[in-house]
Amino acid sequence: MSEAAAAAKSWINGDESARQMLGRAQASRPSLSLPAPLHRIPLRAGNVVEIAGPSPSAKTQLLIQTAVSCILPKERNGLHYGGLGHSVLFVDLDCRFDVSRLVEMLRHRIAQVNGCSCTADDEEILKLSMRRFSYIRCYDSCELLAALKTLHHRLEKEKESNGIGGHLLMIDSIGAFHWVDRASTSLPLGGKNRKYLSLQNVLEVVVEDLRKLMSAHPMLVIVTKATIVGTTGNDFRRNYKRWPSTGTFDASSELEGLREPYFREYMPPIWQSFVTHRILVRGSDDHIAMPKSQENNTAYVSEWLLPRLNFLDKFVVRNAGVFLVS
Amino acid sequence: MASLKRLETEFPILDPDFQSFCALRGIFTVQDFLIRDLQSLVADAEQQPSSERFMQAINQVLYVIDGLHQPWLNGVDLMEDAQKNKHVLSTGCEGMDFLLRGGLRRGQVTELAGPSSSGKTQFCLLTASTVAYKYMGGVIYIDTGNSFSAKRIARFLNQISCPASEEMQPRVLQEVMNSILCHPVYDIFSMFDVLHCLESKLKYQICRGDNDERLIIIDSISSLITPILGSSGSQGRALMVSAMSLLKKLAHEYNLVVLVTNHTVGGDGGIPKPALGVSWKTLPHVRLLLSRDCGSNTYQVSLLKHPSIASGKAAKFIIND
Repeated sequence: MSEAAAAAKSWINGDESARQMLGRAQASRPSLSLPAPLHRIPLRAGNVVEIAGPSPSAKTQLLIQTAVSCILPKERNGLHYGGLGHSVLFVDLDCRFDVSRLVEMLRHRIAQVNGCSCTADDEEILKLSMRRFSYIRCYDSCELLAALKTLHHRLEKEKESNGIGGHLLMIDSIGAFHWVDRASTSLPLGGKNRKYLSLQNVLEVVVEDLRKLMSAHPMLVIVTKATIVGTTGNDFRRNYKRWPSTGTFDASSELEGLREPYFREYMPPIWQSFVTHRILVRGSDDHIAMPKSQENNTAYVSEWLLPRLNFLDKFVVRNAGVFLVS
Repeated sequence: MASLKRLETEFPILDPDFQSFCALRGIFTVQDFLIRDLQSLVADAEQQPSSERFMQAINQVLYVIDGLHQPWLNGVDLMEDAQKNKHVLSTGCEGMDFLLRGGLRRGQVTELAGPSSSGKTQFCLLTASTVAYKYMGGVIYIDTGNSFSAKRIARFLNQISCPASEEMQPRVLQEVMNSILCHPVYDIFSMFDVLHCLESKLKYQICRGDNDERLIIIDSISSLITPILGSSGSQGRALMVSAMSLLKKLAHEYNLVVLVTNHTVGGDGGIPKPALGVSWKTLPHVRLLLSRDCGSNTYQVSLLKHPSIASGKAAKFIIND
């Protein structure tokens, strides 16, 4: 009797208090301090962030900026670089990544810390950071699936050899194969239980593989999604009219005014339920003058949709990186 | 993709026993593996009497799958590849080179959009001449509107080589002209043909170590794509995306510059904007919009999109007669 009672009692007592659990979660999956405009919401390993927006809206620039602060070391030789010292896995589906842009931004950040004196140290930090950056390009869905299926083994091997933990996975951009997969859906052949290649099935497996990967290797996933489905006049009107938000009347009227044609969601529900955070970026007509030069930068506007924050961030992209302006 | 039966000759571990185990679960080919959840398959295999062999076989298939994707590259490798292979090629026109910080970058696809008679073809011909003369590189010119002119190329070559209105030596001229290959192409399928032939030729050349192709020009790609882009349906867009995917692959793997032209349509308020719709926008690396004042030979170009230069910059240039 006593044994069963003890078991029941321990079950009722629970394993840990909420406070303990919070402490454990914060210790094992600390929130990462990411550059603006992703800094508004604490993001941690296990989250899936979607950066959505039309082209061009500086989505890839945001990814590169985030990668820079991720691969830079925290500090080295007594100098504080303010990076996270994590490794970045960049999956390029658009095949448009320009490594020279990443190097340019990194050099700016390093030069800011070291001062203008260019030393051999700079190159060393650059190499050290770049070694944390892994890159793969995929030309079709099968290559993406093959890469995801074998990534687990690759990360295991890496962990064994140099103990690198703390990953950030980036996918640019998830809709790249949308049209090809939609058109190349094959007829189901050979029995009922044979899965066939289709848009739905491919994304199901991508989500499934990413879930497995994230449970084995805690990582933050950041994905860009370009607008590739046009809005016709009808869609525009249909989506433009939104229900007025109840109660809060702060910035929402301003939001409404700035809202461009709301773009159409084309990813299947399985993907949408996988995404935990969503930020919308788009270009605006404003031009922000750069200090000390006549050049104007196009301003971009970002808005958190999931969770919904009722204000907009405005940012510009300069040679040195992404900067908030308001 | 290969069926498991075919793989058996190479990897005997994939024996008929394993094949029937997979067939029961609807897996016949490597592609079926790809769109499967492998963990449930592994769990299934562990229940079987010969689980150890099955696990080995699954690992063998994973090894095959590992060869199906492009290699993972380290940031340092990428930097080295960019420094060694991804230079810029001068277009022969100063304003444009200044705007693009030196010219067109190898490994990238550049889109040149503009209304008719805004200088798209002239710019293409000038770039072809410059690359053929200055870099002694091969040029593949895919011409969809019969607008390629050998005479114009010869005139550009004379301008580039000796500004003092001296004629170029016929032998040199012939050599340079020989390196520009023009393919008249009138539909997207013939374009795929040309590009696939080119790919196998480049593969062969890489093996021999003499790769001198530098530039692919498609003037204009929009006249190949517009007819297949219906109002609805995904077939046309799928062809467009895979054509660009192939071009990007060729550009990256063989360090080529790809230059394609696009026409314009009326946008909001009648301002011309590049054709081909929103799904096209995400495809090229660099997007340029050309325009010209009526009657003058001064062209204006503005940058719509670039991986490393702020968009919105503009420049002017002149193409001599």
